[in-house]
Amino acid sequence: MNKLKLIIAREYMTTVARKSFIFTTLLVPVIMILCMGLPALIAYYNQSGGDVETVAVIDASGRYGTAIHDTEQYHFVVMSADTIADPYKFYNSSDKSLAAIVMIPRDIDSTAQATVFSESTINVTLKSHINNALSDTISQTRLLSYGVPNLQEMVDKANVDVDLKSVKWSESGRETESSTEMAMVLGMVLSLLTYTFVLMYGAMIMNGVIEEKTNRIVEVIVSSCKPFELMMGKIIGVALVGLTQLAIWGVIMGVLSLVLGSIFGADVMAGGQAQAGMQAMQEMGDSVDMAGILKAVMSINYPMIITNFIIYFVGGYLLYAALFAAFGSAVDQAADASQFTTPIILIMIVALYAGIACIENPNGPMAVWCSIIPFTSPVVMMVRLPYDVPFWQIALSVVLLYATACAVVWIAGRIYRTGILLYGKKTSFKEILRWIK
Amino acid sequence: MQPFIEVKDVVKQYDGHLALDHVSLNVPRGCIYGLLGPNGAGKTSLIRIINQITHPDEGEVLLDGRPMTEDDVIHLGYLPEERGLYKKMKVGEHIVYIGRLKGMTKADAVAAMHEWLERFDLTEWRDKKVEALSKGMQQKVQFINTVIHRPQLLIFDEPFSGFDPVNADQLKVEILRLRDEGATILFSTHNMESVEEICEQISLINHARVVLEGNVDEIRHSHKQNIIAVGIEGKMPLAPDEALYTIVPAPADSRETYVKLADGVSARDVIQRLNERYTLTGFHEILPSMHDIFVNTVKAQSHE
Repeated sequence: MNKLKLIIAREYMTTVARKSFIFTTLLVPVIMILCMGLPALIAYYNQSGGDVETVAVIDASGRYGTAIHDTEQYHFVVMSADTIADPYKFYNSSDKSLAAIVMIPRDIDSTAQATVFSESTINVTLKSHINNALSDTISQTRLLSYGVPNLQEMVDKANVDVDLKSVKWSESGRETESSTEMAMVLGMVLSLLTYTFVLMYGAMIMNGVIEEKTNRIVEVIVSSCKPFELMMGKIIGVALVGLTQLAIWGVIMGVLSLVLGSIFGADVMAGGQAQAGMQAMQEMGDSVDMAGILKAVMSINYPMIITNFIIYFVGGYLLYAALFAAFGSAVDQAADASQFTTPIILIMIVALYAGIACIENPNGPMAVWCSIIPFTSPVVMMVRLPYDVPFWQIALSVVLLYATACAVVWIAGRIYRTGILLYGKKTSFKEILRWIK
Repeated sequence: MQPFIEVKDVVKQYDGHLALDHVSLNVPRGCIYGLLGPNGAGKTSLIRIINQITHPDEGEVLLDGRPMTEDDVIHLGYLPEERGLYKKMKVGEHIVYIGRLKGMTKADAVAAMHEWLERFDLTEWRDKKVEALSKGMQQKVQFINTVIHRPQLLIFDEPFSGFDPVNADQLKVEILRLRDEGATILFSTHNMESVEEICEQISLINHARVVLEGNVDEIRHSHKQNIIAVGIEGKMPLAPDEALYTIVPAPADSRETYVKLADGVSARDVIQRLNERYTLTGFHEILPSMHDIFVNTVKAQSHE
């Protein structure tokens, strides 16, 4: 036990002190923040930084020109149609300083057609802005033309966007509000976290084992402790390294987004996001009420999910880490390891896709089976958890996962014991099977 | 006297290949014991069994008369032939880590680390990473790793390979000092010169078997071929005398003539005869080198 602690401590200290570790730990969150923040920033400067451009509105109808209001980017100038016959000539005579020219025909009420001229491609934002302004005015005009009193109000009232709340009964029959979207996001995040962690730190374990084997330190170490202790020390040590890294990333990203948020103000982010293609967000913005989201977030059963997450995370990590350690011990150099790691990675990818598919139908047969099979359960169950999985399924899956993990750790120990002291041989799966015996 | 290490009838098989075939040997306490043999003879397999890294299929290893267990490894120090260190660790930390793995307390390990670094003039390198050291210095660090916990049994696999003569001498001094302090030393090597110089006893392993065991001097005497080096004054060459001796090739750098005594002739007879004809400046028996014994024994085996 004492030796195991020593090995874990060494593994942890030397990895954490490495320049490459410090570098990645500090750099990754900065890059991530940049990746997320950059589009928002670009959009922000695009919007407010540029000069306001002028758009001429040649209004033959005499009523619609004023319906188009100025935006932060565009200033609209209404011209009389009598003075301008040819928009192209007018454009040229204005020293080409106009961004675009909008032609509103006399009969727009009935045709609902207008034209925008420009020398360059017309901006989507400008187009939709003009479109919205004209459409609204035309509908109002048409409604008025029916001569029904208060028709506008009636129509406004008839326009309904249903706020569909999903309510879930708790066991005692009390109603709790739940949000499938929130559950889905949470499940996916946890699932991805497990997936990434296992692959990233599994590879770290494998490389560590290969390094110890190739520089022959392993002979000295196993003449002081059991090979199994060395393997477990590495697995646990790397897990602690991984958790440390995650914790640091969490803190840095939290602080950075707070700092950036306060510097640029919340509207940068909000404006940026809307600009970045999610125009629907704005429309939704009115109907989604923040209190509702908050309620949904609160309604998720966190203690249950977090407990299960830890259980699955540990089990899944152990299972895969032991495999990585065993395969690392079987090869002489990292390049030879791919024949063994490819199947592991394939299984993980299958698990991830099964997880994604489960969002559609979290209680379907594939979801159920994949969340019970030990090699996929750590990833898939994370997606299902927020949807109230029957207790027997969780119990069965956890028991299976841990039984398999223990078996795999034991088998890995046997492979490792033989593998680390064997050099200069290309090892095959068949040979590894013999070592287990 | 009770041998310190007793290997009894050990058999080890790998994948249908017999690595050790009923190997037995006794290593007396406080002895420097040479384990010789060509590559692939089974030396490393035997060392790994003594080290408790692997276990024999048959037979056992006794330490002080009782079967060795995995807990005994803390009394062992092993220097493998292939040198391995954690390149990213600092020299001092590395030594302390190995010492503590071998069961030392942190304070003891730190104290011993300082003492040994000073002895090998490595004190200023204590906080440097291992990868910054020259190869020779790394080997010294590895040697310290092996002896830090004052093991009763030291196993060195080719300890001198890669050392320059000055450092090899320093290492030899340290090995002898450890022996004088009571350690038993098991030496695996091909370097026969070092065997003659420091080993008291040897075992020669070939094809998974012990083919020769015993005291180095006794072995050399028992393998002597009655060859005598004769030095005579003047430039006159030694004349052959079939009745007494035949002249055999001498090493190129020797100024003496090597003769092999004829059967039934004693050295005394030859001295008497030569003394009558020449002024003798030297007359001494040539014992076969361990090198020759090694080569001849191994060759004889492979002809069988």
